[in-house]
Amino acid sequence: MFSQIDARSATPLYDQIAARLRIAIAAGELVAGEGLPSVRQLASQLRINPATVAQAYRDLEADGFVEMRQGAGTFVSDVAQEGRQQERRRHAVHLVRKMVAEAGRLRISPEELRAAFTEVLGSRSK
Amino acid sequence: MSDAIITAALQYRVGRSFEISHLDLRVPTGAIYGFLGANGSGKTTTIRLLLGLLRARAGTITLLGQPMPARAPEILARVGYVPEQPHLDGTLTVQELLQFQAAFYPGWDWSLAESLLGQFDLDRHRLFGKQSKGQKAKTMMLLALAQRPELLVLDEPTDGLDPVARRDILSALLEFVAQGDATVFISTHLVHELERICDWIGVMDNGHLLVQEPLLQLKRGVKRLQLSGLPAGATPPAPATLLSREVSAPGMETWTVRAWEPPMTGSIAALGATVLMETDLDLEDGFIALLRAFRIGQTR
Repeated sequence: MFSQIDARSATPLYDQIAARLRIAIAAGELVAGEGLPSVRQLASQLRINPATVAQAYRDLEADGFVEMRQGAGTFVSDVAQEGRQQERRRHAVHLVRKMVAEAGRLRISPEELRAAFTEVLGSRSK
Repeated sequence: MSDAIITAALQYRVGRSFEISHLDLRVPTGAIYGFLGANGSGKTTTIRLLLGLLRARAGTITLLGQPMPARAPEILARVGYVPEQPHLDGTLTVQELLQFQAAFYPGWDWSLAESLLGQFDLDRHRLFGKQSKGQKAKTMMLLALAQRPELLVLDEPTDGLDPVARRDILSALLEFVAQGDATVFISTHLVHELERICDWIGVMDNGHLLVQEPLLQLKRGVKRLQLSGLPAGATPPAPATLLSREVSAPGMETWTVRAWEPPMTGSIAALGATVLMETDLDLEDGFIALLRAFRIGQTR
């Protein structure tokens, strides 16, 4: 799940982890009540600072995506359909923004980008 | 939050030139502090000073709230140390080393030692001298962790190891950190490893501490900027500083800056200039830019 985590990125690791879990919950990849790995397990598995994982979990809790139960662990909350949809929309916009910025650097015009988008998506839905 | 390591105006020298001059280190309790520097920058000397293996010419050292070297025995019982070079008796077996070490440390944890033996896949009956490089490094790390130290000092713990041994050692270290609030002081020139695990960074060069701040703050502030329409001799607004400047045409410059903040783009605009592109640097590029700037400044 965390294969895209990149310590060299300017986005802090805790933001990357929280974002990945948020979209997993929004997409139904993780379901309500499911337990997340412990801070210790995930830190050891990703070889990152446990404080980073704890920060990601705290942020997710503040957003209402997970619940931290003292002594029991961290569990996926029951996020309403609307909240999940909003998160997916947010993430989709984020992906497109990144693509648009990259295209801008490469001097690809919005028209070219739109045409490419239609071409790729068109072939996908067939 | 208290600090696990504090040095004030620490000085050390051999012969005429200073090896360490006016070193003010501050390592917050619970931090994983990455002590970065090229070979020969003074990292190992600093560690030896901290642990009382060398005597400072001037300055003070406080470890875990107590003065070094005055209170060395009490302090060192709470400190784990993994030196750069294997330092253990090669004619002892791993089991004998464990028993020897256990006798010195009140907090020694046999169940952790046993579980690490399994996790590291070490043969307890093998002589230390007959172990591979990776096995030696694991044995040393095991000995330091099983002490359950409050402060762990690691000098290049994974340098020259294969990726598998390196991964095993880092995983064990992080698992240990997650269990309590131990402080880890880790010296290395392997920048990418630090970028994953550290929350504080100190950069040493030529006996000077160039930078000491939280990793996120350091990374957030180091940028490469492409600028146009710049008046000659313009510099970034304080507290940002210029690490390097390349002039490609009049008014067209590429800056590498430190302590940059997004609102500063406005100050650039006020000069009549434009930031064409802003690139984030990773820790390694930032580290190299810092060292270059410092070294150029010194030779001037």
